[in-house]
Amino acid sequence: MDEARHMSKSIIVAQGISKTFTNKRGSTKVIENINLEVRENEFLCLVGPGQCGKTTAVNVLSGLEPASTGTVKINGKTITRPGPDRGFVFQSTALYPWLTVMGNVEYGPKVRGIKKSERREKAQYYINLVGLEGFEHSYPNQLSGGMQQRVGIARAYCNEPVVLFMDQPFGALDAQTRYLMQEEIIRIWETAKRTIVFVTNNIEEAIYLADRIVLLTNTPTQIKKEYKIDFPRPRDYTDPDFLALREEITNEMDKTL
Amino acid sequence: MIDNTRRSRKHGARAAVISIFVFLLIWQAATTFTSLGILMPSPLISLSAFFKSFIVPIGPYPIFIHIYWSLVRVVPFYIVGAIAGIILGITMGWYKPVAAIFRPIFEILRPIPPIAWIPIAIVWFGIGEGSKWFLIFLAAFMNVTINSFAGARSTDPVLVGCSKMLGASDWQIFTTVVLPGSVPYIFAGLQVALSSSWATIVAAEMIRSSEGVGWIIISSQETNNSVNTLVGVVAIGIVGFILAVIMREVEAVLVKWTKRDI
Ligand SMILES: Nc1ncnc2c1ncn2[C@@H]1O[C@H](COP(=O)(O)OP(=O)(O)OP(=O)(O)O)[C@@H](O)[C@H]1O
Ligand SMILES: [Mg+2]
Repeated sequence: MDEARHMSKSIIVAQGISKTFTNKRGSTKVIENINLEVRENEFLCLVGPGQCGKTTAVNVLSGLEPASTGTVKINGKTITRPGPDRGFVFQSTALYPWLTVMGNVEYGPKVRGIKKSERREKAQYYINLVGLEGFEHSYPNQLSGGMQQRVGIARAYCNEPVVLFMDQPFGALDAQTRYLMQEEIIRIWETAKRTIVFVTNNIEEAIYLADRIVLLTNTPTQIKKEYKIDFPRPRDYTDPDFLALREEITNEMDKTL
Repeated sequence: MIDNTRRSRKHGARAAVISIFVFLLIWQAATTFTSLGILMPSPLISLSAFFKSFIVPIGPYPIFIHIYWSLVRVVPFYIVGAIAGIILGITMGWYKPVAAIFRPIFEILRPIPPIAWIPIAIVWFGIGEGSKWFLIFLAAFMNVTINSFAGARSTDPVLVGCSKMLGASDWQIFTTVVLPGSVPYIFAGLQVALSSSWATIVAAEMIRSSEGVGWIIISSQETNNSVNTLVGVVAIGIVGFILAVIMREVEAVLVKWTKRDI
């Protein structure tokens, strides 16, 4: 298949990552020795039970927070702080409420000093890609939850980063919108190929989306198991193989609890 | 939704009219039927004196000239105080070293009421306009600083992380996240500060003056003219109310994004 062509190179290489939070009451180890490689244009899902440290893991992998030990390399470069070569879609949408859809999407290119005509054109392209044409001048609080996440995705894409991190972007959506957004993210990813690290606690969602699933344990989080998903896209939630895999991963995750 | 807000606004206006009317009615009854009438004029007398004062001068000027002079004292130094307060409050809220230096001083000065500043103001600025301006400046500055400070403190750390990831510099984070995020707080401060600065006019005009609504109250007290005292009070109340309404409209125009409309 065409996987061989676009999944050759390792984009993210994380070695010996751990994260310990220290406060007055003592210290908690949330992540313990994670080693992970993500290949170019791969759609990777990090799956783990609630409160297991998924957000912490993706924060460290993306450089949003420093690791306590270990290194993360993106495209061969060790990362220590947030930067525009990475994109992040937040669990809480984190849109700028005082900026319009256009203002939010063009924020990255704007602070990086890209001139107006160029960044507008780029922002418009991604606004159209996520299906928000006509809403350029709306403010976030005028949009539904699904539309807000679309803005978040367009904003992350608009910087044209090497890697996109998405932390449970559909976690707060109702089931119907969630299914729609799952289709949408695959469509967007297939149009504008990027390496995606997608966090979810929903196994079905992970099987629908991922090229590979990395199952995490409870805290302190380690990698429990990996699953390569070869089902052709678009995937069918009711396919027997899909259901069997879902069963298998669910059992595996229950064991960690 | 638009219909709804219009209706709720109409309800609000009706409630306001009723509550003011009831208040005036109780005042009128109290002055007519109790001994309070000996000490204090009724609302009918006060309000008719207020409207009469547009034609018949109190002291040197009719009431609107007094209002004008008071506004000339208040508005410019309210603005200066507000700008200084925004700058100090936001930088104090966002940059820890700035807070470490200024916050203790600020917290000590904050509870001091405007009147207590009068002797100091006179020593520093004399008994002319300078000390009046200083009092008004202080009233605006204190309120705006404390609110802007709270605004900058409330900055969403996730938005800051998001901006960093998108490539914003520290200064860009300050101007594109901290500052706009503080705007609702700043406006709350501007609103309180405007009432407070305007109310301070009475204290300010206690320092030698020969015109202004505060002067009307002070000089009428000296001459025991309680009707004129109430004319001054009514003028301060009405102008204060109008200023608050103007401020709210300015906010509604400038800060559209806090309103929901679906
Ligand atoms: N800054 C912090 N200081 C101390 N403990 C923290 C901090 N951030 C997270 N934790 C702890 O780490 C654990 C994992 O948190 P995290 O948010 O990474 O989990 P999660 O898997 O993303 O949860 P959810 O499913 O709710 O999104 C939690 O027990 C939390 O209390
Ligand atoms: Mg989380």
